[in-house]
Amino acid sequence: MPGIYVMAVITIAASALLWGGILMGMSGQGKRYLWLMIPAMPLSALVNLLVKAPLAFGGGWLFKIPPNTGSDPPAFMVFLFLLAPVCEEAIKLLPFVGHRVRAYLDHPVNALWAGMALGIGFGLGEAAYLAWGIAQSPEYSSLPWYLFTGYAGERMMVCLAHGAMTAVAAGGLQRGGWHGLQGYLTSVTLHALLNVGAALYQFGVISVVAAQLPTLAAIIGLVLLFERRLHAAMGKPGAPDTGEEVIYFQRESKPSHQQPPDDV
Amino acid sequence: MDQTLIFKPRPSSGWLWVGGLGVLMLALGITPTLGGISLSETWFPLVISGGLGLFFIALAAWFPTLRYELDDEALTLRYGPILHYRIPLQEIKEMRRRNLQITLWSSMRMPGLALFTVPYADAGNVKMCASACATRILLIDTEHGPYGITPADEETFVAAVKERMER
Repeated sequence: MPGIYVMAVITIAASALLWGGILMGMSGQGKRYLWLMIPAMPLSALVNLLVKAPLAFGGGWLFKIPPNTGSDPPAFMVFLFLLAPVCEEAIKLLPFVGHRVRAYLDHPVNALWAGMALGIGFGLGEAAYLAWGIAQSPEYSSLPWYLFTGYAGERMMVCLAHGAMTAVAAGGLQRGGWHGLQGYLTSVTLHALLNVGAALYQFGVISVVAAQLPTLAAIIGLVLLFERRLHAAMGKPGAPDTGEEVIYFQRESKPSHQQPPDDV
Repeated sequence: MDQTLIFKPRPSSGWLWVGGLGVLMLALGITPTLGGISLSETWFPLVISGGLGLFFIALAAWFPTLRYELDDEALTLRYGPILHYRIPLQEIKEMRRRNLQITLWSSMRMPGLALFTVPYADAGNVKMCASACATRILLIDTEHGPYGITPADEETFVAAVKERMER
């Protein structure tokens, strides 16, 4: 068995535990959003095999590019670069078509957490799909599992990034109208920024280490954006309750300054 | 006469999480070396993962030392030799129990354990010494910021603190 499959099992299990646990802990709603990871898991394989591959093939035919020439025109490279963000951000929102998932769009907080869960589920499925792709390569299929720690670290972080991007898009959907399109385009832009490092590395512009920096910067930016949106959403009326508060003791506040004595 | 009361925290599986994480990091650090790759190529991940792994295992070992000490002057929160917060009783402004909203920012908190300063979405930065990271936290608001703890017998603990404050 190719070693990548062993590392994929470890990565997917660890990511599901880590991000699933954080989803439960951060939302304060237990397992309420957790199941949403499941319908999103097969979406990566579906979008890659049934949407992106035919579109890339069709694009190559339109641009009249013979296969494997290695000299693609810039317009086609831009098309390929945007293919993943445009298609993946759209398919991650597909579960909202269903009645049970759409019910989470009743409040901005629910929409953000539902988007986060769908994105994490997509990321887990993508880790499995990529492992399958790596195992098909004779160059990598014979390597032992412990050499794929780079894959493990990257995939764990990408799960969080997918979650935050889908949360942003779902937040737009919840507001309705143009906000839906705005949320989707924001998530596409963030996804494209996330892929800049990898694209520059493939063009030979930067080293593999430098390629991680834009990704890291994009993930930090995503987390900041998600935290801001969540904070704003929590302030809106009707936010899910996180439990009762018991005040045991409160010291009576003293006056901040004393009255000056009367003149004598 | 100054009699120090000791309060234990609520039981939790925090030691298991932090210990498990330590073992995992240690394993990830040493596996390439055990797999036959030369030490000159693997020393960096070995030092980073191994060092962090050992630190987390030590944290798990110190879990039974988590306690709250109450004397006539102050409340002291302790976790092994690495955490020691002293809160003068006269600085306590408020005590309340509530659930907290954790954030994605990195800090020393995981299910069943929260230590040092932890950022929360709804309570800001809280100095934690608790056997839970977000649920049923007893927040002690002071003139120098809030502290978060989880005494096992919460009502007895609160009554004892109030009694000492009124002396």
